[in-house]
Amino acid sequence: MIMNRRQFSKTSLAAAAVTAMPGLARAEAPKTIALMFDAFDSDFWITGNSILKAKAKENGWNTLETISNRDQNKQNDQVKAMVERKVDGIIFIPTDNNAAIPAIRTANNANVPIIFFNRPPAANSNKYVAIQADNRKIMQITVTSLIDIAKKQGGKYKACLLMGDLGDNNAVQRRDGALDILDQNKDIVELVARVATEWNADKTFAGLTNAIQAHPDVNLLISPSDSEDAIIEQVLKSAGKWHKTGEEGHVLFSGFDGDQNGYNLLSTKYMDVNGVQNLFFEVDLAYGAFKDIWAGKQPQQMLIDPGFAISQATLEAKRDDMWGYHVWKEKNK
Amino acid sequence: MTEASGAWTDTTGGIRSRPLRLLRRILFSEYLVLYFTLFYIAAIWPFVPEIVSPTNLEDVFLQVLPLFIAAIGLMLVLMVAQIDLSATSIMAMACVVGASIMSEQGGYLAGSALAPLAAIAAFIAIGLAIGALNGVCTAYFGMPSFLVTLTTMMFFSGAAIWYTATHTDSGSSIGALPASFVEIGYGGIFGVPYAAIVTVVIAVGAHLALSRSLFGRWLFAVGINPRAAAISGVPVKPVIVGTFVLSGFLSSIAAIIYTGRLEAGTPILGQRILLDIIGAAVIGGVSLFGGSGKVSGVFFGVLFLSVVDNGLQLLGLSLSAVYAIKGAVILFAAVTDALRHRVLEKG
Repeated sequence: MIMNRRQFSKTSLAAAAVTAMPGLARAEAPKTIALMFDAFDSDFWITGNSILKAKAKENGWNTLETISNRDQNKQNDQVKAMVERKVDGIIFIPTDNNAAIPAIRTANNANVPIIFFNRPPAANSNKYVAIQADNRKIMQITVTSLIDIAKKQGGKYKACLLMGDLGDNNAVQRRDGALDILDQNKDIVELVARVATEWNADKTFAGLTNAIQAHPDVNLLISPSDSEDAIIEQVLKSAGKWHKTGEEGHVLFSGFDGDQNGYNLLSTKYMDVNGVQNLFFEVDLAYGAFKDIWAGKQPQQMLIDPGFAISQATLEAKRDDMWGYHVWKEKNK
Repeated sequence: MTEASGAWTDTTGGIRSRPLRLLRRILFSEYLVLYFTLFYIAAIWPFVPEIVSPTNLEDVFLQVLPLFIAAIGLMLVLMVAQIDLSATSIMAMACVVGASIMSEQGGYLAGSALAPLAAIAAFIAIGLAIGALNGVCTAYFGMPSFLVTLTTMMFFSGAAIWYTATHTDSGSSIGALPASFVEIGYGGIFGVPYAAIVTVVIAVGAHLALSRSLFGRWLFAVGINPRAAAISGVPVKPVIVGTFVLSGFLSSIAAIIYTGRLEAGTPILGQRILLDIIGAAVIGGVSLFGGSGKVSGVFFGVLFLSVVDNGLQLLGLSLSAVYAIKGAVILFAAVTDALRHRVLEKG
């Protein structure tokens, strides 16, 4: 076949365009994110998973899910499976911050960005990003708001501090944040009881019951998580101390997490203040970090959610940022 | 037998076609569980072709190794018609004690070249001690092994958590393990993982012990009929103690490999794999009533469970779907194996 120069040029361009098409198609293929949880043992994680999936969909990404059921060894193996599936990013919620380090190495070796969501790993030299709520700061703001209410009401207070599982770094930070403020306000508040709940309903019930029996005049209660609100309500009701704000015998009460129980208790005036982890903001931070990494930029290793405190006075103004309010709204349509 | 249009008629006049003969041969083969594994891979491959990739197969192989070691230990106990529910608590206790010895941040032998060896010795000592406790309570005090090992499981699970909390600021795990110990998890020599070498030695040793040694014959005898075995001169009680000691020892070896892989001593090590260990042994043909068991069967059981798990992980299904499918697949395999044994016994 004899071709002139014009025909040859056109044919070459067409051939080049055809061979480039698979590359273009690959470049436009949607990203896939692995959402790797350890357990769905609270509304926080269930809602977190929903928000992660919803926002991934908004970004046009696909998601794969795994749950390790609190088995870190299994979760580390699951990371290998997700790397095998050639995911573009991993959202990781580990059970153990030390034993999760091998998973980071697996992701690094495969050049898959890994983002620890709400639970950072132990210090290590591998590449990762961690999103964390500043639990200590949020608890400081929360307890400060609670004590401000106490100061306005006047009088002296006897406080009971509930603590989560002290093997969980989040629980340690919340305890420390509460103690920071209580130590600064010893003239008004005396800490008479500390209850180690270990995130266990039975231990919460037993510990708080014992604390109130030993100190029946407790009139200020600090909770480490809204997952314990129902138990706290039970115990205070049994002790005749479950009263709304403004009623005789009301116990000043702060919660943490910002779940639907927390919103409900604030709106019904049994709870005074709640420390909220801004789940929507944390997901935005995580997905923003993915976009930066894919674009060749390296985000900061620790991205902090400063959270906020919400009280009865600020409920209307701030509730749209409270993830539990949206869950409550959905259930109470 | 005569042949007619591709089917065989036997002497009773029953027709056995070639496909039926093949099916029968497969169903009654000692490799049935292996066939199930291959069938599962073939069924899932169109959805996740990565299941047969070399890296994935290597990952599955490495996952199999410590589980296989622990399952061999449980097999020995099951063979004498007992059970060991404390296998995973032995792992947890050994793991945190070993880690507390060798951790480079505050470990008892932090920085010492002997730390990993001392830690390994501690792992094994704890496995042997708890195994001996289980064995003595079962054999000499006549307590049901279910009760004994359930209570030791609870006690040592709690002890592991308490021990970790007293040896670390975070309270959740003991990290900073020496690199030389961590090598055991995924390292190797001449391309062969250390874990594989250990596993092969243990598997071959267990097979030879069961098939060629007096102890092996005693195990079968005690499992089939302990009274008859005693009358025949078999030292029944020491044999039972021996199986629990070996189970504890093998649990501690599995713990060494798992701890090397996690690079941390965690009190919840193995907490979720007790049913996998028992399931693997039972699917592999070990009778819960004692008197039967083969190392190769246990290997096929472990491989089957690991491949099923791997396939479901690759699919990225929700937890409820994973549990349902895994349970159904294992139930199918176990029921098929049980029916097969019943038919074989009837002859």
